[in-house]
Amino acid sequence: MVQINFARKEINCKIVYYGPGLSGKTTSLEVVHQRTPQGHKGDLTSISTDGDRTLFFDFMPLDLGTIAGMKVKFHLYTVPGQVYYNSTRKLVLLGADGIIFVADSTPGRMDDNQQSMDNLRENIAEMQRDVNKIPLVIQWNKRDLPSPLPIEELEARLNPNKVPTFETSAKTGEGVFQALKAISALVLEDINSSNGKQVGGIASAKKPVAAATPSIRPAADAAPPPNVGTMPDRDVAKVLRPAGTAGRGVSKPAAAAAAAGTAVGATATITAPPPAPMAVMAVTPPIAPREEARPALRAAMNDSKAALKNEFRQAAAAPRRAADALKEPQPTPPAPAAGSGLKMFLFMALGIVAGAAAAVVAAKFLLGF
Amino acid sequence: MSTSDQELRDRRLVFYKNDLGRIDRVLQELLRLSNASSVLLVDKEGHMITRAGKEPSFDLDTISALVAGSFSATREMARLLGEQQFSALFHQGERDNIQLSLVGDRTILTVIFDDSTTLGMVRLYCTEAVRKLESVFADMMRGRREGNGAEGRAEMAELDRLKSSARDTLDALFDGN
Repeated sequence: MVQINFARKEINCKIVYYGPGLSGKTTSLEVVHQRTPQGHKGDLTSISTDGDRTLFFDFMPLDLGTIAGMKVKFHLYTVPGQVYYNSTRKLVLLGADGIIFVADSTPGRMDDNQQSMDNLRENIAEMQRDVNKIPLVIQWNKRDLPSPLPIEELEARLNPNKVPTFETSAKTGEGVFQALKAISALVLEDINSSNGKQVGGIASAKKPVAAATPSIRPAADAAPPPNVGTMPDRDVAKVLRPAGTAGRGVSKPAAAAAAAGTAVGATATITAPPPAPMAVMAVTPPIAPREEARPALRAAMNDSKAALKNEFRQAAAAPRRAADALKEPQPTPPAPAAGSGLKMFLFMALGIVAGAAAAVVAAKFLLGF
Repeated sequence: MSTSDQELRDRRLVFYKNDLGRIDRVLQELLRLSNASSVLLVDKEGHMITRAGKEPSFDLDTISALVAGSFSATREMARLLGEQQFSALFHQGERDNIQLSLVGDRTILTVIFDDSTTLGMVRLYCTEAVRKLESVFADMMRGRREGNGAEGRAEMAELDRLKSSARDTLDALFDGN
């Protein structure tokens, strides 16, 4: 979850690279680390096996700089991709603010991609979070292979919600930054929203694709694809850069991926305007009196007061002796005991009279008169 | 766990100046009493909230992420033992040691200390600090629930500029790579 720290003027977000084993998650993070300017990055930390396979996670802090007076920091993580590391994967995924799914374009790995996407959906659902509300972009990685899986096939199987996608090669670094830029924009936009907004999202990849899947286009004809399904009311491309400048400043063939990516990004499923975020320190809530119980409590107290008043009125109407007894400068008995105080006084008076009589009798007996 | 609890957990962490002021006082007191070298408060996602003590030589972002990772990794162990999670962890080194204590449900108190104090002292004062921090968090949450969060409205309004301001920053950082 995003942490907004107004005292330190910081916003902290968590981005997770997810995908099947050996799809290029760690390599993508290494590219980000290598190419991020000094001063914007921390150390790349890996908790991996001797064979360089991610055991727990890889981690890198990325300092985006100051935006709207706040220092924005992203913590980038990768998960272990192997199927049997699912419990570790869930731990890393916990609290993620944005996800970059790295799909492997190697022929024959479609089922692994599908399995990983399904696993992502299951894990998110298990955390009782809405899979459609977590910002997501997809990297179609290893596009530098001689005959990678067709984009149309990948889109059809893995991206029914039409989240932004990017053709990448983590090996050469192409497209990796564009994917990171897109998820950054989505996450920052999501900070403005409350919990009810859809940004990107992970839909069931198994549901039938209603419309033809737009493929990644080469930069030369990178026109925005037609609106498909649930068309957003805002355009990821607009968040990234002004319209018509797609690919600006992106070097060499990366421009193709960038332009294509942002074009496809326009099909992200986004609904609902961003309402103000809730400001809540979410720790285990203390046990507080239930709001609805308060009126009932007040009513009970009012009833009790009325009963006391009645008792006082009755006491005032009683014989003068009783009234005088109430006025005596003795410590005032508790209000509910006003009636019993009167009785006590009568008993005491009776006791005194009886005592006096007994004393007289005793004196008479002892003194013999 | 009720649905509303879950919703609260899912919500983001927001800290205002007053909140941090109270938390910092608790951390300073812990630092003074326990004679530790550094104290950090980290959320379970691995983001540092605040810190006290001498300027550390290590990267704070990395240590925060690893602290959170370390805590979450032991949760599975705790579950195997029938516990929901361990509330405290201790890592012992030759020179420096780290004591981690869970505060509430979403933050971790991290105390780094050397041989100028003892584990017993640190644990003793950590327990007290955790109790105080939980009380601070409970007050914060109660205040927000009862709508006393006027202090944050201006700050929250500033966040609306994030979307428009982000474009240039992202262009500057990511383009050309």
